[in-house]
Amino acid sequence: MPPITVLTPTGTLGYGFGEEALARGMSLNPAVIAVDAGSTDPGPHYLGSGKPLVSNVSIKRELTALIRAGRAAGIPVIVGSVGGAGSGVQVDRTAALVREIAREHGLKLKLATIRSDIPIERAKRAVAANEVVDFEAGYPLTQDALDETVTLVAQMGHEPICEALDAGADVIIAGRACDDSVIAAYPIWKGADPALAIHMGKILECGAFSAEPFAMDVMLGTIDDDGFTLEPGSIKRRASVKSVSAHSLYERENPFRQGGPGHEIDLTGCSFEQIGDRQVRVTGAKLTETAHYYVKLEGARLAGYRSIAIAGIRCPTTIAALNGILEQLKARALEYFVPDPISVQFHVYGRDGVMKELEQDRSPAREVGLVIEVTAAAQELAHAACHQISGAMLHHHYDGIINPSGNLAFPYSPSDLDIGPVYEFSAYHLMKVDSPTELFPVTLEDL
Amino acid sequence: MTARRLREIADIVRSKNAGPYRITFDILCRDRANYELIRDSGAITPATVARAYGLSESDISSFFAIDQANAIKVTIRRPRAQGASGEGDMYGCQQHVPLMSMLVPTP
Repeated sequence: MPPITVLTPTGTLGYGFGEEALARGMSLNPAVIAVDAGSTDPGPHYLGSGKPLVSNVSIKRELTALIRAGRAAGIPVIVGSVGGAGSGVQVDRTAALVREIAREHGLKLKLATIRSDIPIERAKRAVAANEVVDFEAGYPLTQDALDETVTLVAQMGHEPICEALDAGADVIIAGRACDDSVIAAYPIWKGADPALAIHMGKILECGAFSAEPFAMDVMLGTIDDDGFTLEPGSIKRRASVKSVSAHSLYERENPFRQGGPGHEIDLTGCSFEQIGDRQVRVTGAKLTETAHYYVKLEGARLAGYRSIAIAGIRCPTTIAALNGILEQLKARALEYFVPDPISVQFHVYGRDGVMKELEQDRSPAREVGLVIEVTAAAQELAHAACHQISGAMLHHHYDGIINPSGNLAFPYSPSDLDIGPVYEFSAYHLMKVDSPTELFPVTLEDL
Repeated sequence: MTARRLREIADIVRSKNAGPYRITFDILCRDRANYELIRDSGAITPATVARAYGLSESDISSFFAIDQANAIKVTIRRPRAQGASGEGDMYGCQQHVPLMSMLVPTP
Protein backbone atom coordinates (compact mmCIF):
# COMPACT_ATOMS: atom_id res chain seq x y z
CA MET A 1 0.00 0.00 0.00
CA PRO A 2 1.40 3.46 -0.87
CA PRO A 3 1.49 5.79 2.16
CA ILE A 4 -1.75 7.70 2.86
CA THR A 5 -1.82 11.08 4.55
CA VAL A 6 -4.85 12.20 6.56
CA LEU A 7 -5.24 15.89 7.39
CA THR A 8 -7.23 16.69 10.54
CA PRO A 9 -7.80 20.44 10.70
CA THR A 10 -8.74 20.74 14.37
CA GLY A 11 -9.92 18.86 17.45
CA THR A 12 -13.57 19.85 17.08
CA LEU A 13 -15.00 21.38 13.93
CA GLY A 14 -15.85 25.00 14.69
CA TYR A 15 -13.14 25.50 17.32
CA GLY A 16 -10.69 26.91 14.78
CA PHE A 17 -7.44 26.26 12.93
CA GLY A 18 -4.74 28.40 11.38
CA GLU A 19 -5.03 29.35 7.70
CA GLU A 20 -1.28 29.01 7.34
CA ALA A 21 -1.41 25.57 8.99
CA LEU A 22 -4.15 24.41 6.61
CA ALA A 23 -2.28 25.74 3.57
CA ARG A 24 0.94 24.09 4.64
CA GLY A 25 -0.90 20.87 5.48
CA MET A 26 -2.56 20.81 2.06
CA SER A 27 0.86 21.25 0.44
CA LEU A 28 1.83 17.87 1.92
CA ASN A 29 -0.71 16.20 -0.41
CA PRO A 30 -3.17 14.62 2.02
CA ALA A 31 -5.53 12.01 0.56
CA VAL A 32 -8.43 13.04 2.78
CA ILE A 33 -9.55 15.71 5.25
CA ALA A 34 -11.24 14.14 8.26
CA VAL A 35 -12.50 15.83 11.41
CA ASP A 36 -14.61 15.16 14.44
CA ALA A 37 -17.39 17.58 15.43
CA GLY A 38 -18.73 16.27 18.70
CA SER A 39 -18.71 13.91 21.65
CA THR A 40 -20.52 13.34 24.95
CA ASP A 41 -18.02 15.67 26.58
CA PRO A 42 -20.11 18.87 26.50
CA GLY A 43 -22.85 17.00 28.34
CA PRO A 44 -26.25 15.51 27.50
CA HIS A 45 -27.85 18.80 26.44
CA TYR A 46 -26.80 18.70 22.77
CA LEU A 47 -27.98 15.13 22.36
CA GLY A 48 -31.30 15.80 24.05
CA SER A 49 -32.11 19.18 22.55
CA GLY A 50 -30.60 18.76 19.08
CA LYS A 51 -29.21 22.29 19.44
CA PRO A 52 -25.80 22.86 17.84
CA LEU A 53 -22.72 22.76 20.09
CA VAL A 54 -20.89 25.26 17.86
CA SER A 55 -22.72 28.07 16.08
CA ASN A 56 -23.73 27.72 12.42
CA VAL A 57 -21.51 30.76 11.77
CA SER A 58 -18.34 28.99 12.90
CA ILE A 59 -19.27 25.62 11.39
CA LYS A 60 -20.02 27.21 8.04
CA ARG A 61 -16.82 29.27 8.03
CA GLU A 62 -14.64 26.22 8.72
CA LEU A 63 -16.59 23.83 6.47
CA THR A 64 -16.25 26.37 3.65
CA ALA A 65 -12.45 26.45 4.02
CA LEU A 66 -12.25 22.64 4.23
CA ILE A 67 -14.64 21.85 1.39
CA ARG A 68 -12.96 24.39 -0.90
CA ALA A 69 -9.54 22.93 -0.03
CA GLY A 70 -10.88 19.40 -0.55
CA ARG A 71 -12.47 20.23 -3.91
CA ALA A 72 -9.34 22.07 -5.11
CA ALA A 73 -7.22 19.01 -4.29
CA GLY A 74 -9.87 16.52 -5.44
CA ILE A 75 -9.97 14.73 -2.06
CA PRO A 76 -12.92 13.86 0.19
CA VAL A 77 -13.90 15.71 3.36
CA ILE A 78 -15.30 13.58 6.20
CA VAL A 79 -16.98 15.06 9.28
CA GLY A 80 -18.18 12.85 12.14
CA SER A 81 -20.50 13.40 15.13
CA VAL A 82 -21.78 16.55 13.46
CA GLY A 83 -23.62 19.18 15.45
CA GLY A 84 -22.11 18.05 18.74
CA ALA A 85 -23.94 14.77 19.32
CA GLY A 86 -24.56 13.47 15.79
CA SER A 87 -28.34 13.29 16.08
CA GLY A 88 -30.63 13.42 13.03
CA VAL A 89 -31.51 17.11 13.35
CA GLN A 90 -27.81 17.90 13.73
CA VAL A 91 -27.01 15.91 10.56
CA ASP A 92 -29.78 17.77 8.71
CA ARG A 93 -28.55 21.16 9.92
CA THR A 94 -24.96 20.47 8.90
CA ALA A 95 -25.99 19.05 5.52
CA ALA A 96 -28.00 22.24 4.88
CA LEU A 97 -24.82 24.25 5.51
CA VAL A 98 -22.95 22.10 2.96
CA ARG A 99 -25.66 22.79 0.37
CA GLU A 100 -25.37 26.53 1.06
CA ILE A 101 -21.62 26.40 0.72
CA ALA A 102 -21.79 24.45 -2.57
CA ARG A 103 -24.31 26.93 -3.96
CA GLU A 104 -22.47 30.05 -2.83
CA HIS A 105 -19.11 28.88 -4.17
CA GLY A 106 -20.35 27.14 -7.31
CA LEU A 107 -18.96 23.77 -6.16
CA LYS A 108 -20.11 20.51 -7.70
CA LEU A 109 -19.89 17.64 -5.28
CA LYS A 110 -21.48 14.40 -4.15
CA LEU A 111 -22.75 14.76 -0.59
CA ALA A 112 -23.28 11.70 1.60
CA THR A 113 -25.16 11.96 4.88
CA ILE A 114 -25.09 9.09 7.34
CA ARG A 115 -27.67 9.00 10.11
CA SER A 116 -27.01 7.33 13.41
CA ASP A 117 -30.38 7.65 15.14
CA ILE A 118 -31.57 4.40 16.64
CA PRO A 119 -35.33 3.81 16.65
CA ILE A 120 -36.43 3.33 20.28
CA GLU A 121 -38.32 0.18 19.28
CA ARG A 122 -35.13 -1.30 17.82
CA ALA A 123 -33.29 -0.79 21.12
CA LYS A 124 -36.24 -2.15 23.11
CA ARG A 125 -36.18 -5.32 21.04
CA ALA A 126 -32.47 -5.63 21.77
CA VAL A 127 -33.06 -5.16 25.52
CA ALA A 128 -35.78 -7.83 25.42
CA ALA A 129 -33.42 -10.18 23.56
CA ASN A 130 -30.65 -9.62 26.11
CA GLU A 131 -28.46 -8.01 23.48
CA VAL A 132 -27.68 -4.84 25.46
CA VAL A 133 -24.96 -4.71 28.08
CA ASP A 134 -23.85 -1.91 30.39
CA PHE A 135 -20.72 -0.08 29.32
CA GLU A 136 -19.89 2.13 32.32
CA ALA A 137 -23.23 3.53 33.42
CA GLY A 138 -23.49 1.15 36.37
CA TYR A 139 -27.14 0.26 35.69
CA PRO A 140 -28.87 -1.87 33.07
CA LEU A 141 -30.77 -0.28 30.19
CA THR A 142 -34.51 -0.82 30.66
CA GLN A 143 -37.62 -0.54 28.50
CA ASP A 144 -38.79 2.32 30.76
CA ALA A 145 -35.57 4.25 30.31
CA LEU A 146 -35.91 3.84 26.55
CA ASP A 147 -39.53 5.05 26.66
CA GLU A 148 -38.31 8.24 28.35
CA THR A 149 -35.44 8.72 25.92
CA VAL A 150 -35.95 11.65 23.56
CA THR A 151 -32.84 11.11 21.43
CA LEU A 152 -30.98 7.86 20.93
CA VAL A 153 -27.93 7.50 18.72
CA ALA A 154 -25.22 4.89 18.33
CA GLN A 155 -21.56 5.38 17.53
CA MET A 156 -20.81 4.06 14.05
CA GLY A 157 -17.49 2.47 13.20
CA HIS A 158 -15.60 3.10 9.98
CA GLU A 159 -17.78 0.75 7.89
CA PRO A 160 -20.69 3.11 7.06
CA ILE A 161 -18.17 5.82 6.12
CA CYS A 162 -16.39 3.34 3.82
CA GLU A 163 -19.79 2.62 2.23
CA ALA A 164 -20.16 6.34 1.46
CA LEU A 165 -16.63 6.37 0.00
CA ASP A 166 -17.55 3.34 -2.16
CA ALA A 167 -20.43 5.42 -3.50
CA GLY A 168 -18.02 8.18 -4.54
CA ALA A 169 -18.89 10.75 -1.87
CA ASP A 170 -16.86 13.97 -1.90
CA VAL A 171 -18.25 15.29 1.38
CA ILE A 172 -19.46 12.94 4.12
CA ILE A 173 -21.60 14.35 6.93
CA ALA A 174 -21.82 11.56 9.47
CA GLY A 175 -23.97 11.35 12.60
CA ARG A 176 -22.51 9.99 15.81
CA ALA A 177 -19.31 8.18 14.99
CA CYS A 178 -16.51 6.76 17.07
CA ASP A 179 -13.93 9.60 17.00
CA ASP A 180 -11.11 7.45 15.70
CA SER A 181 -13.29 5.81 13.02
CA VAL A 182 -13.84 9.17 11.31
CA ILE A 183 -10.09 9.52 10.79
CA ALA A 184 -9.42 5.82 10.19
CA ALA A 185 -12.15 5.22 7.61
CA TYR A 186 -10.35 6.44 4.52
CA PRO A 187 -7.04 4.64 5.18
CA ILE A 188 -8.91 1.42 6.00
CA TRP A 189 -10.97 1.84 2.83
CA LYS A 190 -7.67 2.06 0.93
CA GLY A 191 -6.36 -1.12 2.56
CA ALA A 192 -4.47 0.13 5.63
CA ASP A 193 -4.07 -2.06 8.71
CA PRO A 194 -7.14 -1.19 10.83
CA ALA A 195 -5.11 -1.42 14.05
CA LEU A 196 -2.69 1.26 12.88
CA ALA A 197 -5.40 3.37 11.25
CA ILE A 198 -7.59 3.37 14.36
CA HIS A 199 -4.65 4.14 16.65
CA MET A 200 -3.71 7.01 14.33
CA GLY A 201 -7.33 8.14 14.43
CA LYS A 202 -7.30 8.14 18.21
CA ILE A 203 -4.34 10.53 18.27
CA LEU A 204 -5.34 12.70 15.29
CA GLU A 205 -8.95 13.23 16.33
CA CYS A 206 -7.93 16.01 18.73
CA GLY A 207 -6.02 17.85 16.00
CA ALA A 208 -2.83 19.49 17.23
CA PHE A 209 -3.60 18.71 20.88
CA SER A 210 -0.98 16.00 20.45
CA ALA A 211 1.63 18.58 19.35
CA GLU A 212 3.56 21.20 21.30
CA PRO A 213 2.61 23.91 21.89
CA PHE A 214 -0.81 22.25 21.77
CA ALA A 215 -3.77 23.96 20.13
CA MET A 216 -6.95 23.47 18.16
CA ASP A 217 -5.06 23.32 14.87
CA VAL A 218 -4.04 21.18 11.90
CA MET A 219 -2.38 17.80 12.43
CA LEU A 220 -1.38 15.25 9.80
CA GLY A 221 -0.77 11.53 9.97
CA THR A 222 0.79 9.44 7.24
CA ILE A 223 0.13 5.73 7.45
CA ASP A 224 2.02 2.94 5.67
CA ASP A 225 2.28 -0.82 6.06
CA ASP A 226 4.37 -0.71 9.24
CA GLY A 227 3.19 2.32 11.21
CA PHE A 228 2.31 5.97 10.96
CA THR A 229 4.06 9.31 11.26
CA LEU A 230 2.51 12.38 12.87
CA GLU A 231 3.31 15.99 12.08
CA PRO A 232 1.55 19.27 12.90
CA GLY A 233 0.42 21.46 10.00
CA SER A 234 1.88 24.63 11.46
CA ILE A 235 5.63 24.97 11.25
CA LYS A 236 5.43 26.72 14.65
CA ARG A 237 4.51 23.42 16.31
CA ARG A 238 6.23 20.09 16.64
CA ALA A 239 5.19 16.56 17.50
CA SER A 240 7.41 15.07 20.19
CA VAL A 241 7.44 11.63 21.77
CA LYS A 242 6.36 13.34 24.97
CA SER A 243 3.46 15.28 23.43
CA VAL A 244 2.18 12.26 21.52
CA SER A 245 2.52 9.74 24.34
CA ALA A 246 0.93 12.17 26.83
CA HIS A 247 -1.95 12.68 24.44
CA SER A 248 -2.46 8.92 24.24
CA LEU A 249 -3.71 9.13 27.84
CA TYR A 250 -6.12 12.01 27.34
CA GLU A 251 -9.84 11.61 28.10
CA ARG A 252 -9.69 7.84 28.36
CA GLU A 253 -9.37 5.35 31.11
CA ASN A 254 -7.20 2.52 29.87
CA PRO A 255 -3.99 3.55 28.11
CA PHE A 256 -3.26 0.02 26.87
CA ARG A 257 -6.60 -1.24 25.60
CA GLN A 258 -9.06 0.66 23.48
CA GLY A 259 -12.45 -0.83 22.74
CA GLY A 260 -14.38 0.24 19.65
CA PRO A 261 -17.22 -1.03 17.48
CA GLY A 262 -16.43 -4.63 16.62
CA HIS A 263 -12.87 -4.55 17.91
CA GLU A 264 -10.40 -3.98 20.66
CA ILE A 265 -7.00 -2.38 20.11
CA ASP A 266 -4.02 -3.50 22.18
CA LEU A 267 -1.46 -0.73 22.62
CA THR A 268 0.92 -2.50 25.02
CA GLY A 269 3.46 -3.11 22.26
CA CYS A 270 3.43 0.43 20.89
CA SER A 271 6.55 2.45 20.43
CA PHE A 272 7.04 6.13 19.71
CA GLU A 273 10.13 7.36 17.92
CA GLN A 274 11.24 10.93 17.26
CA ILE A 275 11.90 11.60 13.55
CA GLY A 276 13.79 14.85 13.11
CA ASP A 277 12.49 17.74 15.16
CA ARG A 278 8.81 17.80 14.24
CA GLN A 279 7.64 14.25 13.52
CA VAL A 280 6.86 11.19 15.62
CA ARG A 281 6.68 7.67 14.25
CA VAL A 282 4.25 5.26 15.95
CA THR A 283 4.18 1.49 15.54
CA GLY A 284 2.93 -1.60 17.28
CA ALA A 285 -0.88 -1.38 17.72
CA LYS A 286 -2.65 -4.73 17.47
CA LEU A 287 -6.33 -5.31 16.79
CA THR A 288 -8.59 -8.14 17.88
CA GLU A 289 -12.04 -8.45 16.39
CA THR A 290 -14.67 -9.07 19.06
CA ALA A 291 -16.82 -12.20 18.81
CA HIS A 292 -19.92 -10.05 18.29
CA TYR A 293 -20.23 -6.56 16.90
CA TYR A 294 -21.48 -4.11 19.53
CA VAL A 295 -22.22 -0.41 19.03
CA LYS A 296 -22.34 2.10 21.88
CA LEU A 297 -25.76 3.67 22.44
CA GLU A 298 -26.02 7.21 23.74
CA GLY A 299 -29.43 8.42 24.88
CA ALA A 300 -30.80 11.49 26.62
CA ARG A 301 -34.04 12.13 28.46
CA LEU A 302 -35.74 15.35 29.51
CA ALA A 303 -35.09 15.87 33.22
CA GLY A 304 -37.32 18.96 33.46
CA TYR A 305 -36.99 22.72 33.20
CA ARG A 306 -34.46 24.74 35.15
CA SER A 307 -34.37 28.19 36.71
CA ILE A 308 -31.39 29.62 38.55
CA ALA A 309 -30.50 32.59 40.72
CA ILE A 310 -26.94 33.83 41.18
CA ALA A 311 -25.89 35.79 44.26
CA GLY A 312 -22.85 36.67 46.31
CA ILE A 313 -22.49 36.58 50.09
CA ARG A 314 -19.86 38.68 51.85
CA CYS A 315 -21.01 38.81 55.49
CA PRO A 316 -19.03 36.39 57.67
CA THR A 317 -22.03 35.79 59.92
CA THR A 318 -24.14 34.64 56.95
CA ILE A 319 -21.30 32.48 55.63
CA ALA A 320 -20.91 30.85 59.05
CA ALA A 321 -24.64 30.09 59.20
CA LEU A 322 -24.94 29.12 55.54
CA ASN A 323 -25.30 25.32 55.69
CA GLY A 324 -28.21 25.53 58.11
CA ILE A 325 -29.91 28.31 56.17
CA LEU A 326 -29.74 26.41 52.89
CA GLU A 327 -31.10 23.21 54.41
CA GLN A 328 -33.99 25.09 55.97
CA LEU A 329 -34.87 26.96 52.78
CA LYS A 330 -34.74 23.83 50.69
CA ALA A 331 -37.02 21.92 53.06
CA ARG A 332 -39.45 24.82 53.15
CA ALA A 333 -39.57 25.06 49.33
CA LEU A 334 -40.14 21.34 48.86
CA GLU A 335 -43.03 21.52 51.32
CA TYR A 336 -44.45 24.73 49.81
CA PHE A 337 -44.80 23.17 46.35
CA VAL A 338 -46.34 19.86 47.42
CA PRO A 339 -47.74 17.92 45.53
CA ASP A 340 -45.47 19.13 42.68
CA PRO A 341 -42.01 17.62 43.02
CA ILE A 342 -39.13 20.03 42.55
CA SER A 343 -35.40 19.40 42.65
CA VAL A 344 -33.33 22.01 44.50
CA GLN A 345 -29.55 22.25 44.26
CA PHE A 346 -27.17 24.81 45.73
CA HIS A 347 -23.79 25.43 44.18
CA VAL A 348 -21.76 27.14 46.88
CA TYR A 349 -18.66 28.64 45.25
CA GLY A 350 -16.02 29.36 47.85
CA ARG A 351 -17.09 26.28 49.79
CA ASP A 352 -17.46 23.27 47.47
CA GLY A 353 -19.13 24.58 44.32
CA VAL A 354 -16.62 22.90 42.02
CA MET A 355 -15.90 19.62 43.79
CA LYS A 356 -19.06 18.96 45.82
CA GLU A 357 -18.67 15.73 47.84
CA LEU A 358 -15.08 15.31 46.63
CA GLU A 359 -14.01 18.56 48.35
CA GLN A 360 -11.86 17.88 51.41
CA ASP A 361 -10.65 21.42 52.16
CA ARG A 362 -12.87 22.97 54.83
CA SER A 363 -11.17 26.40 55.02
CA PRO A 364 -13.74 29.14 55.59
CA ALA A 365 -14.39 31.46 52.64
CA ARG A 366 -14.09 35.25 52.70
CA GLU A 367 -16.76 35.53 50.02
CA VAL A 368 -19.20 32.96 48.68
CA GLY A 369 -20.86 32.72 45.28
CA LEU A 370 -24.23 31.02 45.47
CA VAL A 371 -26.15 29.49 42.59
CA ILE A 372 -29.65 28.42 43.48
CA GLU A 373 -30.91 25.87 40.97
CA VAL A 374 -34.42 24.46 40.69
CA THR A 375 -35.57 21.85 38.20
CA ALA A 376 -39.26 21.03 37.84
CA ALA A 377 -41.71 19.56 35.35
CA ALA A 378 -42.63 23.00 34.00
CA GLN A 379 -40.59 26.16 33.51
CA GLU A 380 -43.14 28.30 35.35
CA LEU A 381 -42.96 26.04 38.38
CA ALA A 382 -39.15 26.05 38.37
CA HIS A 383 -39.19 29.84 38.18
CA ALA A 384 -41.72 30.15 41.00
CA ALA A 385 -39.72 27.84 43.25
CA CYS A 386 -36.42 29.51 42.44
CA HIS A 387 -37.81 32.90 43.36
CA GLN A 388 -39.46 31.51 46.44
CA ILE A 389 -36.03 30.40 47.62
CA SER A 390 -34.01 33.42 46.51
CA GLY A 391 -36.56 35.83 47.99
CA ALA A 392 -36.77 33.90 51.25
CA MET A 393 -32.99 33.74 51.49
CA LEU A 394 -32.63 37.47 50.86
CA HIS A 395 -34.71 38.30 53.91
CA HIS A 396 -34.04 35.22 56.02
CA HIS A 397 -33.47 35.82 59.72
CA TYR A 398 -30.95 33.63 61.53
CA ASP A 399 -29.35 33.70 64.96
CA GLY A 400 -26.52 36.20 65.17
CA ILE A 401 -27.57 38.22 62.11
CA ILE A 402 -25.87 41.61 62.09
CA ASN A 403 -27.22 43.05 58.84
CA PRO A 404 -30.96 42.39 58.54
CA SER A 405 -31.41 44.40 55.33
CA GLY A 406 -30.52 41.53 52.98
CA ASN A 407 -28.34 38.39 52.89
CA LEU A 408 -27.70 38.19 49.13
CA ALA A 409 -25.85 40.46 46.72
CA PHE A 410 -27.54 39.91 43.36
CA PRO A 411 -25.63 40.93 40.25
CA TYR A 412 -28.82 40.87 38.16
CA SER A 413 -32.37 42.03 38.10
CA PRO A 414 -34.36 39.90 37.46
CA SER A 415 -32.69 37.73 40.07
CA ASP A 416 -34.14 34.49 38.68
CA LEU A 417 -33.18 33.23 35.22
CA ASP A 418 -34.99 30.61 33.18
CA ILE A 419 -32.55 28.17 31.63
CA GLY A 420 -35.04 26.05 29.70
CA PRO A 421 -35.17 22.27 29.23
CA VAL A 422 -32.56 20.16 30.97
CA TYR A 423 -31.46 16.77 29.73
CA GLU A 424 -29.61 13.89 31.34
CA PHE A 425 -28.04 10.73 29.96
CA SER A 426 -30.50 7.84 29.83
CA ALA A 427 -28.44 5.30 27.87
CA TYR A 428 -24.73 4.61 27.65
CA HIS A 429 -24.76 0.93 26.81
CA LEU A 430 -23.52 -1.49 24.18
CA MET A 431 -25.97 -3.07 21.74
CA LYS A 432 -25.28 -6.10 19.61
CA VAL A 433 -25.89 -5.68 15.88
CA ASP A 434 -25.91 -8.09 12.96
CA SER A 435 -23.88 -5.88 10.68
CA PRO A 436 -21.73 -2.75 11.15
CA THR A 437 -23.83 -0.84 8.63
CA GLU A 438 -27.42 -1.92 9.40
CA LEU A 439 -28.19 1.05 11.68
CA PHE A 440 -26.39 3.75 9.74
CA PRO A 441 -28.13 4.47 6.41
CA VAL A 442 -26.14 6.40 3.81
CA THR A 443 -28.00 8.93 1.64
CA LEU A 444 -26.38 10.41 -1.46
CA GLU A 445 -27.08 13.69 -3.15
CA ASP A 446 -25.42 15.41 -6.11
CA LEU A 447 -24.89 19.12 -5.51
CA MET B 1 13.39 12.02 54.63
CA THR B 2 11.39 15.06 53.55
CA ALA B 3 8.24 15.26 51.48
CA ARG B 4 7.16 17.42 48.59
CA ARG B 5 3.78 18.09 47.05
CA LEU B 6 3.08 16.19 43.86
CA ARG B 7 2.66 19.52 42.04
CA GLU B 8 6.32 20.31 42.77
CA ILE B 9 7.55 17.05 41.24
CA ALA B 10 5.24 16.37 38.29
CA ASP B 11 4.99 18.64 35.24
CA ILE B 12 1.30 18.09 34.67
CA VAL B 13 -1.46 16.96 37.01
CA ARG B 14 -4.81 17.02 35.24
CA SER B 15 -8.38 15.74 35.48
CA LYS B 16 -10.91 15.16 32.72
CA ASN B 17 -14.06 13.20 31.96
CA ALA B 18 -13.44 9.81 30.41
CA GLY B 19 -16.99 9.35 29.22
CA PRO B 20 -20.02 10.49 31.27
CA TYR B 21 -19.41 8.08 34.17
CA ARG B 22 -15.68 8.43 34.89
CA ILE B 23 -13.15 11.11 35.75
CA THR B 24 -9.57 10.29 34.86
CA PHE B 25 -6.46 11.87 36.39
CA ASP B 26 -3.05 11.98 34.72
CA ILE B 27 0.25 12.70 36.43
CA LEU B 28 2.89 13.40 33.78
CA CYS B 29 6.63 13.88 34.26
CA ARG B 30 9.08 15.18 31.71
CA ASP B 31 11.87 13.68 33.73
CA ARG B 32 12.23 9.92 34.10
CA ALA B 33 13.73 10.17 37.58
CA ASN B 34 10.81 12.23 38.87
CA TYR B 35 8.35 9.72 37.43
CA GLU B 36 10.16 6.85 39.12
CA LEU B 37 10.33 8.80 42.37
CA ILE B 38 6.53 9.14 42.36
CA ARG B 39 5.88 5.64 41.06
CA ASP B 40 8.10 3.97 43.66
CA SER B 41 7.27 6.25 46.60
CA GLY B 42 4.23 4.29 47.73
CA ALA B 43 2.54 7.65 48.29
CA ILE B 44 0.33 7.55 45.20
CA THR B 45 -1.76 4.38 45.20
CA PRO B 46 -5.45 3.61 44.72
CA ALA B 47 -5.86 3.67 48.50
CA THR B 48 -4.11 7.02 49.07
CA VAL B 49 -5.84 8.72 46.14
CA ALA B 50 -9.21 7.48 47.36
CA ARG B 51 -8.44 8.93 50.80
CA ALA B 52 -7.43 12.30 49.31
CA TYR B 53 -10.89 12.57 47.75
CA GLY B 54 -12.89 11.09 50.62
CA LEU B 55 -13.74 8.06 48.50
CA SER B 56 -13.59 4.37 49.22
CA GLU B 57 -11.08 2.34 47.25
CA SER B 58 -13.90 0.67 45.32
CA ASP B 59 -14.64 4.07 43.73
CA ILE B 60 -11.23 3.92 42.04
CA SER B 61 -12.00 2.16 38.79
CA SER B 62 -8.40 1.73 37.60
CA PHE B 63 -4.81 2.71 38.31
CA PHE B 64 -1.90 2.52 35.87
CA ALA B 65 1.79 3.36 36.00
CA ILE B 66 2.76 3.84 32.35
CA ASP B 67 6.52 3.61 31.98
CA GLN B 68 6.43 4.42 28.24
CA ALA B 69 4.90 7.83 28.99
CA ASN B 70 6.42 8.67 32.42
CA ALA B 71 2.83 8.82 33.57
CA ILE B 72 0.52 7.63 36.29
CA LYS B 73 -3.17 7.41 35.53
CA VAL B 74 -5.96 7.08 38.07
CA THR B 75 -9.63 6.87 37.17
CA ILE B 76 -12.56 7.26 39.52
CA ARG B 77 -16.26 6.63 39.15
CA ARG B 78 -18.00 9.98 38.89
CA PRO B 79 -19.98 10.84 42.04
CA ARG B 80 -22.88 11.55 39.66
CA ALA B 81 -23.28 11.03 35.92
CA GLN B 82 -22.03 13.97 33.89
CA GLY B 83 -24.76 16.61 33.71
CA ALA B 84 -26.98 14.91 36.31
CA SER B 85 -28.67 16.99 39.00
CA GLY B 86 -26.05 18.69 41.17
CA GLU B 87 -23.29 18.67 38.54
CA GLY B 88 -20.54 21.13 39.35
CA ASP B 89 -17.94 20.41 36.69
CA MET B 90 -19.37 19.34 33.33
CA TYR B 91 -15.96 18.51 31.83
CA GLY B 92 -14.46 17.13 35.05
CA CYS B 93 -11.44 19.34 34.41
CA GLN B 94 -11.13 21.04 37.83
CA GLN B 95 -10.94 18.00 40.10
CA HIS B 96 -7.16 17.72 40.26
CA VAL B 97 -6.30 19.83 43.31
CA PRO B 98 -6.44 17.18 46.07
CA LEU B 99 -4.24 14.97 43.87
CA MET B 100 -1.64 17.62 43.11
CA SER B 101 -1.49 18.51 46.79
CA MET B 102 -0.62 14.97 47.88
CA LEU B 103 2.72 14.54 49.64
CA VAL B 104 5.45 12.37 48.16
CA PRO B 105 8.43 11.45 50.36
CA THR B 106 11.66 12.57 48.73
CA PRO B 107 15.20 11.56 49.60
